[in-house]
Amino acid sequence: MKNTFKFALAAGAVVLTAGTTAMAADITVTSWGGAYTASQQKAYGESWEAKTGNKIHWESYNGGLGEVRAMVEAGNPTWDIVDVLPDQIRTGCDEGLFVEIPDDRFILDANGTPLDDDLMVPRPNDCAIPQIFWSYMPFYQEGTFSGEQPDSLADFFDVEKFPGKRGIHTWPQALIEMALYADGVAIADLYDVMDTEEGIDRAFAKLDTLKDHVVFWSSGAKPLELVSSGEVAMSLAYNGRVGAAILSEGAKFVPIWDGQVLEEEWLAVIKGTPNLEAAIDFAMHASAPEQQAGQAKWINYGPMRQSGLDIIAANEPWFNTGANVMEHMPNRAEVMPNSIFANPDWWADNGSEISERFTAWMAQ
Amino acid sequence: MASEAVAQPILTADGTPLKDSLRKSLVRSRIQASLLVAPAFLFLVIIFVIPIGQLMTRSVDDKLVNQFLPRTFELFDQWDQSDLPGEEMYEAMFQDITTADKVLLGRATIRMNYEISGWRSLIKKSRREFKKIESGPYKEAMIKTHKRWGDIKYWQSLGAMKDEFTLGYYLNAFDLRYDGDKNVVQQPKKRQVYNLLWWRTFVVSIMVTFFCVILGYPVAYLLATLPLRISNLLMICVLMPFWTSLLVRIVAWMIMLQQEGVVNDFLVWTHLLGDDNRLPMMYNFTGTIIVMTQILLPFMILPMYSVMKGISPNYMKAAQNLGASPSLAFIRVYIPQSLPGVGAGVILVFIVAIGYYITPELVGGKDGRLIGNMIAYHMQQSLNWGLASAMGLILLAGILVLYWVYDKLTGSAGMKMGQ
Repeated sequence: MKNTFKFALAAGAVVLTAGTTAMAADITVTSWGGAYTASQQKAYGESWEAKTGNKIHWESYNGGLGEVRAMVEAGNPTWDIVDVLPDQIRTGCDEGLFVEIPDDRFILDANGTPLDDDLMVPRPNDCAIPQIFWSYMPFYQEGTFSGEQPDSLADFFDVEKFPGKRGIHTWPQALIEMALYADGVAIADLYDVMDTEEGIDRAFAKLDTLKDHVVFWSSGAKPLELVSSGEVAMSLAYNGRVGAAILSEGAKFVPIWDGQVLEEEWLAVIKGTPNLEAAIDFAMHASAPEQQAGQAKWINYGPMRQSGLDIIAANEPWFNTGANVMEHMPNRAEVMPNSIFANPDWWADNGSEISERFTAWMAQ
Repeated sequence: MASEAVAQPILTADGTPLKDSLRKSLVRSRIQASLLVAPAFLFLVIIFVIPIGQLMTRSVDDKLVNQFLPRTFELFDQWDQSDLPGEEMYEAMFQDITTADKVLLGRATIRMNYEISGWRSLIKKSRREFKKIESGPYKEAMIKTHKRWGDIKYWQSLGAMKDEFTLGYYLNAFDLRYDGDKNVVQQPKKRQVYNLLWWRTFVVSIMVTFFCVILGYPVAYLLATLPLRISNLLMICVLMPFWTSLLVRIVAWMIMLQQEGVVNDFLVWTHLLGDDNRLPMMYNFTGTIIVMTQILLPFMILPMYSVMKGISPNYMKAAQNLGASPSLAFIRVYIPQSLPGVGAGVILVFIVAIGYYITPELVGGKDGRLIGNMIAYHMQQSLNWGLASAMGLILLAGILVLYWVYDKLTGSAGMKMGQ
């Protein structure tokens, strides 16, 4: 019934938007809402508005490309820019939902480093506009354990050494990697192991050991609540949520910087937008090194460009409260050796199949 | 004389035959009536007919891969599928991949990836690598660029995609699939999840409906029979949660029921429970049932109330006058009269419950996935709209069948949404 409703909405949207025409060059940017959208507004939204005199309408969504595809198919997109996850930038570009922007349009850093060398991961396609890195990471609350404190992902999976429930998310992304890493697979071999049937079996076998101790979460705020109420002893969470709680609210959370899974976040310009030039201009502004660094003043997600990270490191304390933010960056040099770069191409290939298996695993 | 008078057409004041004049005014009022109905009709068409039609076409449409691989499919039927295909088919595949439009290739590979994981990266990588291959023989060169070209299961999976119409999505929704020869076979064990979810969705909906009847009936009875002053107050109690945001109610239940929550704290404080045996009432099946029952209760109470309000108290008095005990009178006289309301409530609650997914997702924990979650997943994340459409239509068909059964059981007057 829900998707009937979706189609109905799409059909309704066609009728409603048929009459509206393109406004001067105001653009609509759709992102995840909350503190994240606020950081985008402060880091580059306001400055772009001041520079060009255009207005930005900020919208929120729950992820996925359902809406974008419906808009592009209907031929009248009401969003211009969308903030997407690694899977979506790939499928969206494959499906022809996003505009391709060549490398030479991007603003380079002060030394004129070519974009590809400045980026910590290469652009997966010409649709991808660099945004940030974020990660899935384990954390707990000070005072949860007496004596030895957990300091590795293996400890997270060890309910005998560190008793108590664990919070994990309701989709398989990152969990497969984490289970294998905690089971002793080297980071460099992870995706080779995951390419085999036995590798996936091994990951699920490791997850089985947690099964009876798991509380599942599906919204970003939940793990913090679960940990601070004592409902779980440790949880996985988005690193930005944990960092923000520590930096802005003085929460006594302890992040475990081992085995975090780094995920990309990209911006994309939606194909068929009537405000194409304004949208691209905004995207170039938003992905410039200075704006990339500026975002970390408001939220501890890591710039995708090395030059952005360098600006932060040179100007600490950088966070708006006057605290150092580097130690909360998921892609800072010190933690990289113990971090897993998610491989979105693997997930684009295998995501559906693993999701079905994961859902079956949850249900049993 | 009389027969002559009948033969004469009767005329109106302005001289037109009465028949014509009547017909004209009838037509006029018909046009007026249909104009009045037109907005509602248009609304129905836009909101229901078009989307459901779209769902139907999407759930069987499989043209994409045909457009992408015309040369390969031309040769496909000549291949016996027992061994890797010959050079000719490799060449056809090579031509199809190198000449295809980029967007078509992108969309088709996403579709092909539903059959077997790995098609997507295989073709995308091949498209890049094939530029280096200048001439045949292609078979060896292609297998060299990617070993999957030498894996027969990828070639066999094409069989399931070669027709422009497919029932594959419907099969998929029941953990079945086509093999290379278009025989229906079971999905591999590890991928089987949908049958389980259909069953669970059904069980959850039945249980929620059942608890709503049990809890709702006495409330509706009180609402209908108590003096107005008290029943109004009671009505507000029923409606208040109805007006409160869904998320607020869900979060309130979390605070109440979780293991460190209010109920457990109270039980521990009164020493009914040890601190180590706190009851798990949230993030599991129990939580889903409790929260969904509370959320859907008004949908049960209101239709029951509206029917009970119309039952005259005189029937009960009459039954008792004729010698029935109050309980017998209630069972034999009152309950049968209130059944249409119960039926309406049951249908309403069941239909809403069967499509629920936000609530189970938030409070259900590992048992919290229902079929609605998978539909949302395929709409939003995997973009497998074919499968999502098929599942949506199966749900719709299921509800229509249930409604039909219900209608047969109770007769056409069996359900009343109001008085």
